Amino acid sequence: MSVFAFLGTLEIGFIYGLVAIGVYITFRILDFPDLTVDGSFTLGAAVTATLIVAGQNVFLATLLGTLAASCAGLLTAWLNLRFNILHLLASILTMTALYTINLRVMGKPNVALIMEPTILTPFEGIFGIPDMYMKVIFVAICAVLAALLVAWFLNTQYGLAMRAVGSNKRMAQANGIVVTEKVYVGLALSNGLVGLAGALFAQTNGFADSTMGIGTIVVGLAAVIIGQSLFASRSMWVIVLSCIVGSILYRVAVSLALNADFLGFKASDLNLITAVLVALALVFPKLRSEWKAKQAERNNG
Amino acid sequence: MIRCNNLHVTFNHGLPTEKLALRGVDLTIPSGEFVTVIGSNGAGKSTLLNTIAGDIRTTRGDIFFGDRNVTKLPATGRTKDIARVFQDPLAGTCGDLTVEENMSLAYGRGKRGTLSFALNNKLRAIFKEQLSRLNLGLEDRLDSEMGLLSGGQRQSVSLLMSALQPSSILLLDEHTAALDPKTAALIMDISSQIIAEKQLTVMMVTHSMRQALDHGSRTVMLHEGKIIFDLEGKERANYEVKDLLNLFAQARNDGEELDDDKLLLGS
Repeated sequence: MSVFAFLGTLEIGFIYGLVAIGVYITFRILDFPDLTVDGSFTLGAAVTATLIVAGQNVFLATLLGTLAASCAGLLTAWLNLRFNILHLLASILTMTALYTINLRVMGKPNVALIMEPTILTPFEGIFGIPDMYMKVIFVAICAVLAALLVAWFLNTQYGLAMRAVGSNKRMAQANGIVVTEKVYVGLALSNGLVGLAGALFAQTNGFADSTMGIGTIVVGLAAVIIGQSLFASRSMWVIVLSCIVGSILYRVAVSLALNADFLGFKASDLNLITAVLVALALVFPKLRSEWKAKQAERNNG
Repeated sequence: MIRCNNLHVTFNHGLPTEKLALRGVDLTIPSGEFVTVIGSNGAGKSTLLNTIAGDIRTTRGDIFFGDRNVTKLPATGRTKDIARVFQDPLAGTCGDLTVEENMSLAYGRGKRGTLSFALNNKLRAIFKEQLSRLNLGLEDRLDSEMGLLSGGQRQSVSLLMSALQPSSILLLDEHTAALDPKTAALIMDISSQIIAEKQLTVMMVTHSMRQALDHGSRTVMLHEGKIIFDLEGKERANYEVKDLLNLFAQARNDGEELDDDKLLLGS
């Protein structure tokens, strides 16, 4: 892998690290499998790109893209909490609606940002760092900062209450925790992070596309699972940061698979590779424990 | 003080499966009184407790805590006054969280969670001191996951947690029923200690008539959603389990066989 390709892998890894943190909040903290992210990733990108093309300030555009994605999360939470629609189904409904909304926001399937200023523009040339390194450093700082904020949040009284809601609703309620409020906040936070990732992706890669969000959830989940299986810890700091590490490792694994000539993969095989990697990450712990149990049986017998 | 005025609770209202779970319960429990509640399955014991806690809405009637009418207040709004321990040891604690995290949640019961850290050394010291009262060695396992503790240990911690925040009312829902006899006795001991120390107003639902007579100062029996008798003072002191069973049989003078219940209730 060339240095250039590796930097690209790192950059995407850090950006999807934000997605992984978002997915961790819904899947693991709240026990609320949320597929909205496939739509909110694109929504963050679409809103930000459209505003930048319209001449808005890049920071404001990124912020609004993030907030728009948060609102998508709130919609899913509302469908689930107010009308008792199954969480998975509620999120699929929002995701489906967002596909159209994203096309409407952009007015066309694809918005190019090649010639536009981006959130990276103000940082270009600082300390004489070449742009290709600057990109990676910038997204790395964003991802790590977000991870530290989320980890801090989950360690507060409010964050602990949110974790209790995902773990045992009845206990949470008996201790005066308003369950619905925590779900709303959690989904807004999660989708906001995913929308921010979309906004950063659009600006570092120079475009927003209506199909860019497809498979976001699987990639995020892959990163969470890889990160957690590598760092078994109870500390929120370790767990949240391991989402980013998982995301980078996942990207490295994918690019290695795509680059290994003897495997004969093409770039269009990405989704198959992703699915196989996630399946392996899910199956491996179970196989390992079964294998260990068998060994113990043999030793005792 | 808890005051229930003519409480009615109907499940599946208007459907073929309609069930009148409570049919006009009048009950006043003065502050500091410990009431045990007995009755057969489906008598409405748990419904009454859950209605007072706010999990179940009343169809008719009012609930007062002191002078305050709390009938319309949701369960989370009542947690400032009420602490609860459930029958299922897994229900009262979060298995995925550590012992200290669980205790921190209980420490904040009824207060709004702020953005300050949920745990600090001052809190850990308080939790440690509380846990050492149990003599189960749990004071050294503050950072163990709750799910790794045994049912009895979890229930003991649930009890401690219920007393971390000052509250006036403690609701115990068959909280020793899922435990082995030795652990059950230990839990009952700790319960009595905490109740005496904090001078709580207590309602304890139990299936064991022995337990119902041995603890507290008053016993009420529910049958088909109504209170069929209410024992206290001298009269109660002279009661034995068999007297309770006779009373129960009289109340159920519809000629039903009692044998099955005798096994269950006499234990």
